[in-house]
Amino acid sequence: MTLRLAVGTTAILLVVALPLAWWIASGRGAGRALVQAVVALPLVLPPTVLGFYLLVALGPLSAPGRLLIRVLGHPLAFSFAGLLVGSVIYSLPFAVQPLVSGFAAVDGAYVEAAAGLGASPWRTFRNVVLPLTRGSLLTSAVLTFTHTVGEFGVVLMLGGNIPGATQTLSISLYDKVQEFNYAAANRTALVLVAVSLAALLLIYSRRGGLRRGELV
Amino acid sequence: MSEIAPHLSVRIQHRLGALELDVAFTLTQPWTVLFGPSGSGKTTVLRAIAGFVRPDAGRIVSCFYGRDFVMTDTTQKIFVKPHQRSVRVAGQGAALFPHLTIRENIAFGARSQMEATAAAKIVEEAIARFQLPGLAEKFPTMLSGGERQRVAIARAATAAVSLGEGSILLLDEPFTGQDVRLRDELIEELRGWLALTQRPVLSVTHDVGEAFQLGTEVIKIADGRVVQQGPVAEVLAEERERLLKQINASKRSPA
Repeated sequence: MTLRLAVGTTAILLVVALPLAWWIASGRGAGRALVQAVVALPLVLPPTVLGFYLLVALGPLSAPGRLLIRVLGHPLAFSFAGLLVGSVIYSLPFAVQPLVSGFAAVDGAYVEAAAGLGASPWRTFRNVVLPLTRGSLLTSAVLTFTHTVGEFGVVLMLGGNIPGATQTLSISLYDKVQEFNYAAANRTALVLVAVSLAALLLIYSRRGGLRRGELV
Repeated sequence: MSEIAPHLSVRIQHRLGALELDVAFTLTQPWTVLFGPSGSGKTTVLRAIAGFVRPDAGRIVSCFYGRDFVMTDTTQKIFVKPHQRSVRVAGQGAALFPHLTIRENIAFGARSQMEATAAAKIVEEAIARFQLPGLAEKFPTMLSGGERQRVAIARAATAAVSLGEGSILLLDEPFTGQDVRLRDELIEELRGWLALTQRPVLSVTHDVGEAFQLGTEVIKIADGRVVQQGPVAEVLAEERERLLKQINASKRSPA
């Protein structure tokens, strides 16, 4: 359940974050600053605030929520799809930030050289920018994945802790502690530590092995 | 070298910091050198033709067999994107893609234009002509500065040749960092290939020796204005005199 959520969130976020990060990194201006601030908002807001707004927005209490319920036939809140929406928004900064700094580190001379050789912006992005920022892509994916595995507040507000449907590892850990079942809690906590450590090792062990002129 | 019809006409007005650029010229020769001291605006002219700079006012048109291709026209609000222009560019600094081998770098500009076998043939020809066979499978970080520069020229020339007739090659300080003997060889190879494939060149330099070695049409530019256009011996006579005087002076009093 946790795994499914994390994989789904990572997949969706990479698709969303790539063009968004490219757009943010490829210029400046008030519009970009605002978008970047909004993207970074989940970093500083308490997750419960985000969860609360999402609960209201997706639930039957608001107009967009009611519209969603009519279209889908059921409310998004307290469902897996609802959780997915929440996770995507909550982990957005973790996906976008590494990509923005990666893209910004690519020397503009490469982009210009590609254009001067007749490459379209899309081909330049695919064949020059992306290969040079593979490391950032991996960082982005791993951070998103682990952050989703460990998230708590948004899930609690939005998912409602339904075992098998919307109960993630971090919430079941909380439940087990509430039940004074420390042995089970310990096992769950260990799993979370192991997953996070493995992911971070994956990122940092690459530092020594950068090949083919990768930047970040 | 036979004269060919005008293939590029340029009129640009552009403000860049303290520099007030106001130039107009037409290219008719197979090779034209844009000569000027640093800060004279010659690189900006080249970048405007390439489409990297949007001039404040002006019109840039390439002509091929009497047909005009407007790349920039500020009054008609035409501005063709760099990759859609009939020009191929090697900018200042080699900017070889670090994740690609030398062969892949040279093939980069060829691949988008034509089918694979024809492109590969041009790439192999470029590797042979520019004396790069030993370097083809290496990565740019393994090359010296001069070698990288040579690859950058080969890459841009390959792109221009594979783009098809009517394409123009733009080179910004292409031979800087090459030792003189290698530079002269490189010039001969490049000129031979481009004459064969009929791709005109506009190159930028501040080097008098390079301009004379190329021995072509020169457009002299200073403080953002075209001073003179004509054969190199005419336009750069003064610079040549000064250079010769320096050489003679050093001969008389060896250090």
